[in-house]
Amino acid sequence: MEAKMFRSFVDYLRLCASYLRINMNAQLEYRGAFYSQVAAMFINDGAWVVFWLLFFTRFPVLHGWSLKDVMSLWAVTTAGFGIAFGLMGNGHRRFAVAIAQGELEIWMLHPRAVLPHFLLGSTIPSAWGDAAFGYVIYFGFVKPNVQQAAMFVVLSIVVAVVFVGFGILTGSLSFYLGNASTLSDQWRDISITFATYPPTLFDGKVKVLLFTVIPAGFISYLPVQSLRSMSIVDLLIAVAGAIGVLAAGVVAFYFGLRRYESGNLISMRE
Amino acid sequence: MTITKSASRYLWISYTAARSNLAYSSEVIYRCSFLAVILFIFLRLWKVVYAASGSDRVGGMTLPQMVWYLVVTEAIYLSAPRVASEVDEDVRTGRLAVHLIRPLSYAGGHLSRAMGDRVVRFAINLTVGSMLALALVGPIPITASGLVMFLVTLPAAFLLDFLGMFLIGLCAFWLESTSGLALIYTRTVMMFGGMFLPLAIYPALLQPVLKALPFASMLSAPGVMFVNPSLLLLKESILIQGAAVAVFMLMVGVVQFVAMQRLFSNGG
Repeated sequence: MEAKMFRSFVDYLRLCASYLRINMNAQLEYRGAFYSQVAAMFINDGAWVVFWLLFFTRFPVLHGWSLKDVMSLWAVTTAGFGIAFGLMGNGHRRFAVAIAQGELEIWMLHPRAVLPHFLLGSTIPSAWGDAAFGYVIYFGFVKPNVQQAAMFVVLSIVVAVVFVGFGILTGSLSFYLGNASTLSDQWRDISITFATYPPTLFDGKVKVLLFTVIPAGFISYLPVQSLRSMSIVDLLIAVAGAIGVLAAGVVAFYFGLRRYESGNLISMRE
Repeated sequence: MTITKSASRYLWISYTAARSNLAYSSEVIYRCSFLAVILFIFLRLWKVVYAASGSDRVGGMTLPQMVWYLVVTEAIYLSAPRVASEVDEDVRTGRLAVHLIRPLSYAGGHLSRAMGDRVVRFAINLTVGSMLALALVGPIPITASGLVMFLVTLPAAFLLDFLGMFLIGLCAFWLESTSGLALIYTRTVMMFGGMFLPLAIYPALLQPVLKALPFASMLSAPGVMFVNPSLLLLKESILIQGAAVAVFMLMVGVVQFVAMQRLFSNGG
């Protein structure tokens, strides 16, 4: 039983690697466009770092948070986002649209499980800029020791799991509400926005919201807490949060899939 | 007569763009909710800063003024139409050829559409933002002369931003994709224009440089004029905006001329 599960896991890792290669080859057909999007996203994230640099130059401490902490927050969020949607680009904006437009059939015809297969179907070029930015800013600005570096690598994967899970959850709204792409984008963008500001700014009911309806707490607050404390307990809480968000997404997807009705739309995989 | 006829054509384009903008309610809700989130977060941020500073003024503004400044700059920033991507698409799909045979200036047509679009978006953003600011920090004193000064700086701010985005779109003649460049442009406007932080909070060495750049004329100038108007600032803004518009228009003219030399149209 365990051997079978392990084989299946390895098999999906191989599928992931194959899709990564195919998606990257497709993107690199237009090298100029790909590299310009990666560079632009790197610069975009850099603009926010400049904002915080200017802010902390004038106001050195923000409720116990220093510039280094905010840089860690940005690093882990962007790295997680980049890994998530660099590998599973269909988990981003495409998800809700594909369900609403009846494009899931193509993925159902394959012997693989629908969800992971569909998620792996494309890459978002700019996400690679995010991933690169996260790692560069953490290793270049925060200058971690070996333990911190290892913790960051693990946490960036944990955050990627949160992003994928939340992408599935928000995108699955289309099963229940029809074309929910705007609502899905809105929900996700608001969560990301909250996730990029220090949690010390919020308290009371807002903090409850940030660990439930708007899962910014799982995207960045718990991971940064783990980085600050270097505690295994905090890391385990962050991992548990990520698994919870992913599980919520998977349940919403497969429940929704039961309501999915096939149309007579003829479409091709992009 | 011809001028009136021509102007009415462009006005009609603006009018239809404004009307069609109102039809997409989901996009309006998206923008307004995003504006509300940003205002809420920055209110919390500034509250912490003001409490820690022990002063009722930061960068020459009180907390309510700071929030209202953000309302204006955010309303302007979030009202920007997607001019660059539209021009990019015109070039990439060849739709540009269709535009060129119309009895309209290509840039003028886009400008009319963008302005119609932007005025409606800005009005909605400002209304929603004002209601939120009223609920969060209450009103600030606004004078009639201050309001006039604000309204004087606003059209040039929109025009400048349009010209910047139009230039980025024209780069599609040479680049595979201009989306990256457009993203960098919007972030430059955001950072150097003083969207979140008023320029008075930037390091003293940077302030004169940033004030002289066109980006401050797009966001900071109308924002400050709304919360803290002064004749001196108005004169400075008009001067910088005028010079920036002239330079940007010249650049658009040159780039468009060079770009059109590369245009080949096939029948079909």
